[in-house]
Amino acid sequence: MTFKKIRFVTDSTSDIPEELVKQHHIGIVPAFVNYGGSSYADDGVELIREDYYNRLSSIRPFPTTSAPPPGLAEQVIKETFEDADHIVIVTAASKLSGIYNTMRLGASSLPQDRVTLIDSLSTTMGLGWQVIIGAEVAEQTGDPRQVEAAILKVRAAQRVFAAIGAMEFLHRSGRVGWAAASLGTLLQIKPVIEVKDGEVDSIAKVRTFARAIEVLVKLTREVAPLDRLAILFASDTEGAEKLSEELRDIAPPNTIFVSVNPAIGTHIGPSGLGVAPVQQSWRT
Amino acid sequence: MYLTMRHAYLEIATLEESHVGKLSAALAHGALKGARGNSGVILSQIFAGTAKALDGHARLTAPLLADACRMAVDAAYNAVDKPVEGTILTVSRQMMEAVLKRQQEEHDLIALLKSMVFAGRAALRHTPELLPVLKKAGVVDSGGAGLIYIFEGMLRSLCGKALVVDGDLLVSDSAETWQDALVPEDELGYGYDVQFLMRGDNLNIDNVRKDINAMGWSTLVVGDNKLIKVHVHVHNPGDPLAYAINLGATLDDIVVENMQRQYEEYVEKREQREDHVRLDISGVAVITVASGDGLRELFSQQLNAAHVISGGQTMNPSTGDFLNAINALPNTDIILLPNNKNVILAAQQAAANAVGKNVRVISSTTIPQGIATMFEYVNLCSQEHCTLDEIVDAMSGVLGDVITCEITNATRDAEFDGVQVRAGQYIGLINDRLTISGDDITQVARDLLQTAGAKRSERITLYYGSDATEAQANRLADTLMLDFGRQEFEVVYGGQALYPYIISVE
Repeated sequence: MTFKKIRFVTDSTSDIPEELVKQHHIGIVPAFVNYGGSSYADDGVELIREDYYNRLSSIRPFPTTSAPPPGLAEQVIKETFEDADHIVIVTAASKLSGIYNTMRLGASSLPQDRVTLIDSLSTTMGLGWQVIIGAEVAEQTGDPRQVEAAILKVRAAQRVFAAIGAMEFLHRSGRVGWAAASLGTLLQIKPVIEVKDGEVDSIAKVRTFARAIEVLVKLTREVAPLDRLAILFASDTEGAEKLSEELRDIAPPNTIFVSVNPAIGTHIGPSGLGVAPVQQSWRT
Repeated sequence: MYLTMRHAYLEIATLEESHVGKLSAALAHGALKGARGNSGVILSQIFAGTAKALDGHARLTAPLLADACRMAVDAAYNAVDKPVEGTILTVSRQMMEAVLKRQQEEHDLIALLKSMVFAGRAALRHTPELLPVLKKAGVVDSGGAGLIYIFEGMLRSLCGKALVVDGDLLVSDSAETWQDALVPEDELGYGYDVQFLMRGDNLNIDNVRKDINAMGWSTLVVGDNKLIKVHVHVHNPGDPLAYAINLGATLDDIVVENMQRQYEEYVEKREQREDHVRLDISGVAVITVASGDGLRELFSQQLNAAHVISGGQTMNPSTGDFLNAINALPNTDIILLPNNKNVILAAQQAAANAVGKNVRVISSTTIPQGIATMFEYVNLCSQEHCTLDEIVDAMSGVLGDVITCEITNATRDAEFDGVQVRAGQYIGLINDRLTISGDDITQVARDLLQTAGAKRSERITLYYGSDATEAQANRLADTLMLDFGRQEFEVVYGGQALYPYIISVE
């Protein structure tokens, strides 16, 4: 079997750090953030995440996020495909976003036997790790089927947990049914959320952010030993450092810090923190 | 009994007199005028007997005290047609016997009074063994307890001690439910409680007692040939009233109360509070205790408590109340969450006596502690595999994570733990310990939070009670935010009595 040149396309919600995007020649389709009557591509140019989170608390009405137009997805896919034998497209969970569908449309004019389209069932680095590890396997094997198999294993071995800084943001986002339902509760809660099977679930309800972080650490320890780990933050870099300290003994050497995408960040608020671990078990 | 004692006191309060015979007569006269209820009327007779013995004596001596006790107890037993043991009568008799036994060798009145009080306490503890209705309800006789408070008050006053009440009398390990304890004596129901004074010139008390006794039950007829106090339970209140009029007496202080309706209202109210046992909780269920409709709803709706027993600060639920709830639930694994240090014992007894169920007690002493533990419960129960032990461990583990501040009013002047308090002032407690007093509720709240170290916390929750309004609570939170700017504030309706604010600091 011939070694194939395999390229990857994902969306900006994958939160893959810039240097890794370059290293693996990954094509990124930006999602869009809408506020103040305009729409901004989450591409590091139209929208700078750091500035955005610093302003988030004062943006009214509340920002919304949306999938990119199919034309833009098609353009990125075609550019990436140009010098490749095969293209693997991994997207944010189809249950969370319209991006999967946009990508499917964007890739519809390509020869379908040279396209692999995968719903990551996740977002942020839960998606990002699937792309990065997929790219690593592609560079070693040149085999689309081995790549797809590896991505599906990583998909099963990754988790995304986040502690919400303020519920206000999750409520306003309007995306999460249980979050809207919890608006009516007598006592405020600060849920710990998990992105699982393409949906955002509340997995613990606590009263304080400090307690939420304790739960986050406990959950992460429960899935160790880890192959990869990303610490997710919106604007609280200090909190992210502290969180990584708590996990130092189980964190793999290539642990990275990631500024989380506006779709998630707008949900969990500027002070929210999260983790995206991949269990070592994906290799077996 | 309180009202009887109050009337007796008012009669001597303004008296410039140290003649013990005259004081005693005045006391007896006041008590007879104000006597209410079975125990109150018996108390009035105890004072009447005492007055008879002390008549003409300026000073009290040990032998005189012995005489007074004997005549007081005789009068008490004569007050009722069929004396029942296990009541104030038994307690008074044993107090008398203690004096009779010791007065030969002991002439110090304070020492004798001390013997009386100790003997009375021992007798009181024994009352449930003599009277099944007490044993069923898990209480001691209240009239007997009242009598001891009165004599203990005298003793404390003579010794220069504060008049602090010891609230630990109501303990029993074999309580049945409140419904059993409330079954009426008469099969036709509770009927009417009728009380009145008869005034006349030549009344025959023995005849009156005999005739009144034939009309109803719980009869008490006391007095002399000029003034008779009648107390009786009847189905037709017209009978005793018409009887007294027909004797030519003039009537005074007539009180008629419909006890059947009081009973029905009480049962209805209590059942309304008791009926919400949630049958939709699978696995481990929690029974907790809270006062206030807001707090009860919080426990039951948001925190999935299977049952919330009404009570806590003002009314401590009994072992029977817990057992009732335990038996009403289909769950085998049950956790009891008392939320008050005075309720823990009843919960533990219920846990020990529950049949066929695994019942554990989490020793929560405040409402905020209870709420903190319930969050652990809710989280663990949403997971598939979770054992009773794991849940108990997790819940117990967070008891120390919350600081409870409470604000209430002082009911009397006092000094506790070095804090001076005047009646009517606001007092602030941290984790049940009196810490602060003051006239301004905002200042008390601010000092309380400061002392509790709230600046290092993340969230401050004000549960406002029935004595505060939502607007007041919001204003208080707004003011406190000026000092605690980094903390998140939350104002929640608790509806609890007596405590305008319960504040949790997390």
